[in-house]
Amino acid sequence: MPQQIAGYSILPLSLPPVPSFPETATHYLYLQPHQPKIPSPTASRSLFLVNVPFDSTEIHIKHLLSTQIGLPAGRIEDVLFEGQRKKGSGMDEVSGPRAPQNKKSKKRKHGSNGDVIEDMESVALPSVWDRDLRTDGLTAVVLFVDRASMDAVLKAVKSSLKERRVPVWGEALEGKVPALGSARYLNHHSLTYPNKTQLLESVNNYMTAFAGKEASQARSLARQRQEADADGFVTVTRGGRTNPARQEAAQEQAEKQKEKQKGLEDFYRFQSREKRKQRAGDPNKPRPTDPDPRLDIVSSMKTVIWPRSGIPPTTQVEDLEIDPALTNFSS
Amino acid sequence: MFTLKANELFVKVRPDYEGRMVTLENCLRKLKDIIERIPDREAKPILQAEREQLDSHKVRIPFPQPRPAKDAKYTLAYSKPAEINVVGSYARRTSIVVGGQLGIDLAVTMPSHIFQEKDYLNYRYFYKRAYYLACIASGFEEAQEDEYAIDFAHQNDNHLQPIIIITPIQEGNSKTKDQIRILLAADGDLFPISKTLPNKGCIRSMAGGTSSLGSSSKRPTPYYNASLRSECSSLAYLKYLHASSLQSDGFSDACQLGSVWLRQRGLGREFGPFEWACTVALLMQGGGTKGKPILSRGYDSYQLFKATLQYLSLRDLVSSPLFVHSDDITLVHHDGPMLFDGKRGINILFKLTPWSYATLKHEAGVTIKLLNDPLSDQFDACLITRVDDLLQRFDYVVKMRTRQVPIPTSQMVDALNEETYLCHRVHKAFSTGLGDRIRLLHLETPPILPWDAAAPQESTKALYQVQVGLLLDPENFSRTVDRGPSAEDKVAAAEFRRFWGNKAELRRYKDGTIMESLIWSTSDPTDSVLKQIVAYVVRRHLGEEAVDSIELLGELYDRLLPDRKLGIKERSTSFQPFMSAFESLEKEVRAFEGLPLQIRQISAAHARLRYSSLRIPALDHSPGQMEPASICVQFEGSARWPDDITAVQRTKIAFLLKMGELLEESTNGLIARLGLENCNHKLMNIAFLDIHCPSGAVFRLRIHHERELKLLERVLKDSTQSAASREETASALSTYKRDFIQGPIHTQAIRTLSTRFPLLSPCMRLMKKWRDSHMLSTHLSDELIELLTVRTFVHPYPWSVPGSVMTGFLRTLTFVSKWDWQNEPLIVDFNGEMAGPEIEAINLCFEAWRKIDPAMNRVAIFAASNLDPSGITWTEFGPSKVVASHFTSLAKAACGMVKERGMNLEPEALFVASVADYDFVIHLDPRSTRTDRGEQRHSVFKNLHVQSDQDKSLAGFDPVQLFLGELRAMYGSNILFFRDELGGSLIAGLWNPQTGLRPWKVKLAYSTKPCVRPGDEDSQVTINETATLHDIAKLGGDMVLRIEVKRSSTRQ
Repeated sequence: MPQQIAGYSILPLSLPPVPSFPETATHYLYLQPHQPKIPSPTASRSLFLVNVPFDSTEIHIKHLLSTQIGLPAGRIEDVLFEGQRKKGSGMDEVSGPRAPQNKKSKKRKHGSNGDVIEDMESVALPSVWDRDLRTDGLTAVVLFVDRASMDAVLKAVKSSLKERRVPVWGEALEGKVPALGSARYLNHHSLTYPNKTQLLESVNNYMTAFAGKEASQARSLARQRQEADADGFVTVTRGGRTNPARQEAAQEQAEKQKEKQKGLEDFYRFQSREKRKQRAGDPNKPRPTDPDPRLDIVSSMKTVIWPRSGIPPTTQVEDLEIDPALTNFSS
Repeated sequence: MFTLKANELFVKVRPDYEGRMVTLENCLRKLKDIIERIPDREAKPILQAEREQLDSHKVRIPFPQPRPAKDAKYTLAYSKPAEINVVGSYARRTSIVVGGQLGIDLAVTMPSHIFQEKDYLNYRYFYKRAYYLACIASGFEEAQEDEYAIDFAHQNDNHLQPIIIITPIQEGNSKTKDQIRILLAADGDLFPISKTLPNKGCIRSMAGGTSSLGSSSKRPTPYYNASLRSECSSLAYLKYLHASSLQSDGFSDACQLGSVWLRQRGLGREFGPFEWACTVALLMQGGGTKGKPILSRGYDSYQLFKATLQYLSLRDLVSSPLFVHSDDITLVHHDGPMLFDGKRGINILFKLTPWSYATLKHEAGVTIKLLNDPLSDQFDACLITRVDDLLQRFDYVVKMRTRQVPIPTSQMVDALNEETYLCHRVHKAFSTGLGDRIRLLHLETPPILPWDAAAPQESTKALYQVQVGLLLDPENFSRTVDRGPSAEDKVAAAEFRRFWGNKAELRRYKDGTIMESLIWSTSDPTDSVLKQIVAYVVRRHLGEEAVDSIELLGELYDRLLPDRKLGIKERSTSFQPFMSAFESLEKEVRAFEGLPLQIRQISAAHARLRYSSLRIPALDHSPGQMEPASICVQFEGSARWPDDITAVQRTKIAFLLKMGELLEESTNGLIARLGLENCNHKLMNIAFLDIHCPSGAVFRLRIHHERELKLLERVLKDSTQSAASREETASALSTYKRDFIQGPIHTQAIRTLSTRFPLLSPCMRLMKKWRDSHMLSTHLSDELIELLTVRTFVHPYPWSVPGSVMTGFLRTLTFVSKWDWQNEPLIVDFNGEMAGPEIEAINLCFEAWRKIDPAMNRVAIFAASNLDPSGITWTEFGPSKVVASHFTSLAKAACGMVKERGMNLEPEALFVASVADYDFVIHLDPRSTRTDRGEQRHSVFKNLHVQSDQDKSLAGFDPVQLFLGELRAMYGSNILFFRDELGGSLIAGLWNPQTGLRPWKVKLAYSTKPCVRPGDEDSQVTINETATLHDIAKLGGDMVLRIEVKRSSTRQ
């Protein structure tokens, strides 16, 4: 058994037999100091793990590195799994040092704060699983309090390999994490139907945040429209002057205009003459239509806090039947 | 297109005249020499001739029934033949080779001087002919040294015309497939045509006394006459058909098309290529009004073929016979079809019995419909597919053995032999007994095999087997009350009573009429009405011992469905309680006052709401057993919905909560619970409302917002997205289309079709059972199975619409086994309104898919319909290429089994799956699986059956499904999982072979283990199978009993 592969130390973990599969199996974990593509302040004291077991949790990793490998407790600050969002700590997102770089999409010109709402604690929907599982082959980053403890772990791993000591995965952790099997699914089934009030609260919070976001977005768009850049160009943004969907605003505008012109109607003679002519000319002139009565019904709804403004729909020209780019989905 | 394919076919079926024929030609020449060297024999009385023949030549004379009288005055003689010619399709170069067999007809014309003027009477010609044939046979036996096998046979099953069949024996004592048939012919003007017209009687009383002489001599004998005439006209027809082929260019090809068509339908026995050619030739010369031809000589082969079929299917030649080249002949007592050729004085269709004519007409009609259907593969269905398999061709097949009865003397006319007489009786009994319950009645008897010339002809068996194929009328066949003639109509009523005996009773109906009636019992569901009628009719008219031998094939398939105790009628109504629960819910929701938006539509989108779920939805099911049925609600449009897809999904939660409140207020005992799904996806629907109706039905309601489509498309077009999120958006978009657009449309369409075709529902359910029992249910969607079954009903060709579960099921399987999904799309036209451009568009779409995804990683099966031109809605998330091929090969195996075992097949055998071919099998704890899902479990104690709220909260809980879902999410790219939903406690798996040795890298989507081979610098990794199985065991926890590894890894 090699000790290293492509620069990674190999840490075998023994999987104790279970009644339904009475065979001992060995899982292989690969470790290396973290070297992210985009350097970050915490990278120097983080360890990069590859192929974490499917049932890993923070508890598991901490238990493995401290109790089983021999690092003093309390030296691990955080464990972050691939695909998991960071929880406000100063760590950067997990990305492998040599992985085909999943380039972070360029910041959008507008709405770059679009992802924020869903991450807020108050708007998150209740989770339907009691415990997340990892897909096979995933990575994780372990953040230590200092560089020394990281080095200590690497050294301990190497020495335990030499001594042919194989730590048992998840030893003495039963009961500390939610169980798997039918209990997990039963739990999931009841979590699928969350409490109504809790749910309503989260929806309301979300809607408030959404409205706020939309408003700020509209403001920033308006600013962009007005400010010229260094070359003297004004950025063309969505939602300019002509706005067919903003009926109410248009009506408001028209009303204002009317108000303004109120006293000025018969100022000139030609105005009164034209007025008379018009009256005589077409008596069946259609009356201005009433506003959509349905809008009132909608506004009577209490539970939903509607967004204040909407982005007008853009016309869709192409028909997206088959997009060649989709085919690289294949595994 | 058709013509092009036909030309290709001709090349394949045409015999290789130059190469292969040389041997046969040599053989022919040799045979001719032998025949010419046979010495003449003097005229002898019958008894002496027969004894001599048997003793010194070891050949029995194949006399027709009835045997000649011993004291007959006339004598038998042999003399050198007048002519020896090659006739038939080989001579005209239109013969076809199918299954490697080729036949050549050699006509030996007997000299006229051995016959007398009156020999056309009383079988005398045929006795002399039989003797002549025996002489030739003995001549062969003596002249050859085991070069040929010499057998007697009946020409076209006509017992009057025995022939010799010569098969060259190759080295190693095996017979070749080529045959030479030696027919006997007589000179064309041996007997005058006027004596053998169909209305003449040529069998004068033999056994009857002088008293009956007057009546029976007048009785016409069309069959006998035509047989005699056909002997005298074989050369004339050879000339006539040759002339026809010179007149019309398409004639020869049309004859070959016809031969292939007849053969694929198994029709050749009574209406063979010769009759086909004659029909075409005659129709080219007359038959229309005022003797004008029906077919033009300028037609090409396809037009001739199609027009002939059209004529056969439309014109009823029984009630309105056709006479060409002749004046009409008044016929009495005639029940067969008539196409009379006046010049040669023969009814071309004389061999057709009423049932074989009906079958011919039916097949011609189906083929004409097929040729007019733009969506079917016309050529393959018309000429390539074999449709003579009884089980697929007929809805039910009745198999029975009966004792032959001697023909009563009063019936002893027109050269009936005992078999034919029996068939006529069976036909009469069945057609009268079943009446309008059936669309077609077909009789099939075992063919009379050639027998060795030296051996005596087998004595006819005591019991004679008859197979009756029935095509049912789905509207009528399970009717329980038959109304006969009115009591006032004395003659008809007496006839009715004579046929039905004690079963007939006089009844008075609500409208005041009094009618003879038959009442069939419905008390025993396994004893269908059809079975009762068949048993009764057979007992009354064919004898007691025949009843015991009756086997009704086709019924067994009906019993395979989980509700085997129900009849067809009850089955369609058993979905009704659930349907009405949905309707009442719909009414209730529509009546809501408190919703901010009006409801535009409430639509169903679940198999249970379109009569196609395998199990009948039971309302009093035990809790926790029933998965909720999906329905969608669409509100009318409003500009107040947010313009962001995630916000739309959140808004739905608010709507659903409100609806739940309103529902619980309005109905007592109703429970509405909001649930979450797709929590990790921002773009997909996240909430649904489970509604537990007081009636026991459970629905899962989702809100459909039509703007989602535009919003998702907008997100998809955003070019700044990463590939991963594009993929997520695309899958959200197709999920949206499937759940909210296609699902409801599909459900609606299937519901409509189920009322149009009552048998569609059980067929779909049986197909689903087949899929489930072969562990394919996680891969093949319900809708795909439904589309495949619907195809059998709306494009039934080359058959007609299925009339039983058996035909529907077997034909669907046959289609699956033959469907080349890699190169062909499935296109189903639900209502027959698809036009050319639409089909063209679907084909284009299919080709586009194949072009951008030639490896079929994303879409393997393409199944489109007029409702879903995109073609991938139901197949995008499975089956993969591997599973699709597995599906095809399973169907092939099933069809092979049906073909091999034929009538003796136990239908259950088709539903037995084997787990031998999987890499590993996970055995689940049966306690945690729901094997008896949906089946009514009636508790012994009624009071235990009360449902509590706690129980309701478990509705739709299926831990195995959740387990499988997680397995697929985590290991889906490396392992294919198969679940046995019926047995319930197995999950089988197959490793993806692409997880073998490879260099190490960070993002491998499976658990790896390092492998070092000596002398190899680079360390490599491979999938860690043991650890993965261990993980699976751990994930399943208490649900997994054990994991059985069937095949150890081949990767190391």
